[in-house]
Amino acid sequence: MAEIGVDTGGTFTDVVCRLPDGRLHLVKTPSTRQDPSVAILHALALLHRDHGIDPASITRFTHGTTVATNAVLERKGATLGLITTQGFRDVLEIGRQFRQDLYSATPAASTPVFLAPRRRRLEVPERIAADGSVLLPLDEAALAAAAAALVAQGCTSIAICFLFSFLNPAHERRARDIIVAGHPTLAISLSHEVDPAFREYERTVVTAFDGYVKPVVDRYLARLQDGLRQAGVPAPLQVMQSRGGLAGTTTARLRPVRLFLSGPAAGVIGGRIVGASATVPDVITIDVGGTSADIALIAAGRPIIRPEAQIGGHEVRVAMVDVNTIGAGGGSIARVEAGGALQVGPGSAGSEPGPACYGRGGDQATVTDASLLLGWLDPAFFAGGALRLREDLARDAVQRRIATPLNLSLEQAALGIHRVLNAQMAEGIRRVSVRQGLDPRGFALLPLGGAGGLHATALARELGMTTVIVPRLPGLLAAAGLLAAATEHEVAAAAPAPLAGLDVAMVRNTLSALHQRAAVLMRADAASGGRAICSADLCYIGQSYTLEVGFDPAWPDLAERLYEGFLAAHAAAYGHAARVPAKLVNLRVVHTAGGTATLPEMALAPSGGRIEKSRRRIVTEATPAGIEAPVLDRAAMPMGHRFQGPAMVEQSDTTTLVEAGWNAQVDAAMNLVLTR
Amino acid sequence: MSLDPITLEVSRHKLDGIADEMQQTLLRTSFSPIVKEGLDASAALFTAEGETLAQACAIPIHLATLVPVLQAMKQYFPPEKMRDGDAYLMNEPYLGGTHLPDIALVMPVFHHGRLIAYSAAMTHHQDMGGLSPGSVPTNATEIFQEGLRLPPLKYLDAGVENETLVAILRQNVRIPETVMGDLRAQLSCCLVGARRVREVADGLGQNQALSIFAELLQRSERQTLAALDDLPAGTYRHADHLDNDGIDLQTPVRIEVAVTIAPGRFHCDFTGSSPQTRGPFNAVRSSVLAGVYFALRAITNPGIMNNGGCYRMVKLHLPEGSIVNPRAPGPVNARTATIKRIAGTILGALREAIPDRVPADPAGELLALAFGGMDDAGRPYVTGELVTGGSGASMLLDGVDVIETDATNCMNLPAEAMEMETPFRVHRVALREDSGGNGQHRGGLGLVKEYELLAAECVLTHRGERHFFAPQGAAGGESGAMAKSVLIRADGTRESIPSKRVTRMHRGDRILIETAGGGGWGAPSSRDAARAAEDIADGKVRA
Repeated sequence: MAEIGVDTGGTFTDVVCRLPDGRLHLVKTPSTRQDPSVAILHALALLHRDHGIDPASITRFTHGTTVATNAVLERKGATLGLITTQGFRDVLEIGRQFRQDLYSATPAASTPVFLAPRRRRLEVPERIAADGSVLLPLDEAALAAAAAALVAQGCTSIAICFLFSFLNPAHERRARDIIVAGHPTLAISLSHEVDPAFREYERTVVTAFDGYVKPVVDRYLARLQDGLRQAGVPAPLQVMQSRGGLAGTTTARLRPVRLFLSGPAAGVIGGRIVGASATVPDVITIDVGGTSADIALIAAGRPIIRPEAQIGGHEVRVAMVDVNTIGAGGGSIARVEAGGALQVGPGSAGSEPGPACYGRGGDQATVTDASLLLGWLDPAFFAGGALRLREDLARDAVQRRIATPLNLSLEQAALGIHRVLNAQMAEGIRRVSVRQGLDPRGFALLPLGGAGGLHATALARELGMTTVIVPRLPGLLAAAGLLAAATEHEVAAAAPAPLAGLDVAMVRNTLSALHQRAAVLMRADAASGGRAICSADLCYIGQSYTLEVGFDPAWPDLAERLYEGFLAAHAAAYGHAARVPAKLVNLRVVHTAGGTATLPEMALAPSGGRIEKSRRRIVTEATPAGIEAPVLDRAAMPMGHRFQGPAMVEQSDTTTLVEAGWNAQVDAAMNLVLTR
Repeated sequence: MSLDPITLEVSRHKLDGIADEMQQTLLRTSFSPIVKEGLDASAALFTAEGETLAQACAIPIHLATLVPVLQAMKQYFPPEKMRDGDAYLMNEPYLGGTHLPDIALVMPVFHHGRLIAYSAAMTHHQDMGGLSPGSVPTNATEIFQEGLRLPPLKYLDAGVENETLVAILRQNVRIPETVMGDLRAQLSCCLVGARRVREVADGLGQNQALSIFAELLQRSERQTLAALDDLPAGTYRHADHLDNDGIDLQTPVRIEVAVTIAPGRFHCDFTGSSPQTRGPFNAVRSSVLAGVYFALRAITNPGIMNNGGCYRMVKLHLPEGSIVNPRAPGPVNARTATIKRIAGTILGALREAIPDRVPADPAGELLALAFGGMDDAGRPYVTGELVTGGSGASMLLDGVDVIETDATNCMNLPAEAMEMETPFRVHRVALREDSGGNGQHRGGLGLVKEYELLAAECVLTHRGERHFFAPQGAAGGESGAMAKSVLIRADGTRESIPSKRVTRMHRGDRILIETAGGGGWGAPSSRDAARAAEDIADGKVRA
């Protein structure tokens, strides 16, 4: 009886194994980019060898994957063909005619043309009208010919997007039947199934992304399933979706476009659990990686879900946990620009060659080099001792590249690198919260991943936040989040209708059809006894940005209640709500089962060793002249342990800088809670 | 006094962040779709001297528009008489505004009794009264027809709203609730900016903050001058045209510029440009500045902080009574097309000096279509569409097919959205084959779009460009195809629409629009064979 959470990251594959008595086993192993399942199976072998966990005892297996994202970033998806309504094949390339770089005289295309260049986009005669009626029947011979022509071009996956298919899917369905009959092995994505909502460009893009990654995700999950079976794991494989819920492989393989934020979503769920364990419902998570930092908001215990997100720089309409990336992280390069400005990022030294102090040939000054010079990192204890850092190389780089040109001392320069980086991250966090109409001062800051702990107190101070929560295992939070996540299926349908005079029977019929579809999906994942939530996307007539409003279909006066709910949501989001006519756009049903609100098992017992490992001189913004600070061992701290900054807190997967002015306490869930 | 470079850089990020927060507040709390979806609004901080300190803008036509406003406000209301809690507004183009729908709101920011900055916001309001709903009448021949004119006025007097002003405003616009809602969103935006600037002054100390503001401007100036120093000094000339002014259909409108790059100076002399037009294409000073500032930013380092320092070296000569410096009461509402052409003409002039940075001409058109009428159920509707063409090819790359360029960045209308809300059917949304200028690098293709009216009748307003003047190629590249539009009547007869026209459509009539392609770069004979073959396989170029 063991439950497993596996998060595949860019560098490491993390495994958390939870036993019924609450004990946890942790395994970290290098990721295998070519085939991530190799590292996963290796980790299972380690779990067996080192901790005695028999694969046959695994009853739950949950997974966060980057396979879909990597297929896009590395352009290794399928050779995709796109079939559209006659006259509309170029919609994918034209998009909304918007450009990203506002001030460039030579703007770059912002549409994902790489998914299907024009020669692989074909049209067939057919037309559904705006009321769902058939204007022109599907030309079946033309459809078969188009599919054959795409196969002849080497396509292994076909996306189909017909106008108004979200109102009448008959033509898309018939097209699939015809293609399957002739080419049974082709992957097929239909727009009304992927994203049944209006606006043909947005629907075409998400359908094309789905088709592009489908064969890759399918191969990978099949391979992983086979590997687990051969290893003797009886549990079904569950995969984290971008919304923050788990789904079985049938759904994941059918709808891979929902997996783009699989890993980060798990991290945010982990952040929610930690916040809940510290009884803090409003949390901002920040995951500082090598090249970038990911920011997410959890308000009132719920991660914010966005109806669209960026995939590889392209806006895609698929619901995801609202994770915002800014181009600054531990490997970010600092440099002095003409005119004397110190810039940090967006360029990064990555992990190869990495910061100068890695001693792998990098000679640029990075944020990590600065941290080392400020005494924040122990050169012998980086990544748990995996890499010995070279202080001499860090000093050379920062002196030559920053301190000398700016006429600063070495430590001023190193501190300056952090101040500039933190200013950017702080404004990034502010931007994310202000966009949601939220004030960051009411939130706690929660660093996830390895590098966040060095920035947390400085960021919180900058943002006027008074609480920082450092989880017991920040590097394993995504894997832990997988164990806490619920099984979840979301289905939606377009239901365009003015709210005034709303046909309530139509709403209830649509909902019951959606409930049936969701129930089928839940049963396939053997999930039962869960919750069902209904919501509606609504907007003012004449406007096109919608707001999601939850409701109970049993309500009497449904139309009035929906309208009042919409006005309240509008007032919350935009600060005002005029009583002018609104309309229904989409209906949605989400079924959820399982999941835990807390992870008390994360309360690892203290190691019993000495808490104060040593003392060393550190330089911080609060103590720019340098100060002797204790270096504390997190693993040794018992529940209730208190101390005050300045201090460095070390643990195997992260280092936390507690600046002067902060009080620290280990809470009942073993979180390190910093307040000021 | 030498300032700590780190604190300077931290302050820069903070000020940019404040401008972003102001902009987010403005977009989030505005009422009208033109702000929420068209992003036609901007926010900025100014120094006490009236130079831009930080600005967030979603479309470049707003780049400079608040600068002349600040100057006018300071002239009408001496800063020494301003008080905490005051706010001022105006929209008058002939005193510093742009066109009447754009109302600017300006709030002085006081810190311990001293005026240390201004917080300002400009929003394109949905209606400002005048001849037609939306206050951008294509047939206006004087500004009085374009709506209510507001000179610099006090909107808040130490926190108290000017009831007289509000009453006049409400009485003169078609949708007073929306206009007042958007105005209050501007106020929220200015309040956010003022609060955060005061926090910056608290954190740094007032004198230190003011020194840093001044140094940030000087630094942008130094960086811009350094970038300009890298360009070959000289005077570069170019001219291009708008098709006509919508009133005198036979008369092209000429934009001519001589750009001089000299030490410490970026001078644009518009001598040779057409006299002001009878139709509404006149560009007042702030509009011209937006075009000039866009061009300047496009050829300098995009990493330079966008503030008033970037533009201190800009000098303009704007002949009085011309398209770039009209006399009141010339109409101005359609100045966007003029701003785009000004930006393109300046870049065109600089092409010879910096051929690696300036591409061939883009389509440089934003075709505005407006349809209005009643559907068969008797419900009135008005809908609009803004579409563009291809971008110009550059020394390194092909142009991009159908993409917004230069001073605007507007989204098109989805066919499904249009068909669900109005009695139209869209038959085609396609790349316009063979429309990009040939060259070693091909210009971006234009757009083909075809709409059919499904109701009895509607009024069509078609405001195009590039029907008579093609986007030019560069370095031996060919020009892009000119735009053309045709009305195909239900009986099959075809009527060409030359650039600008207001007409009626009837059931079954179609309008077929084809936007311009971008110019090509380099000799067509040097095109890479593989790229040429791809274009043919993609059907973008006919074999």
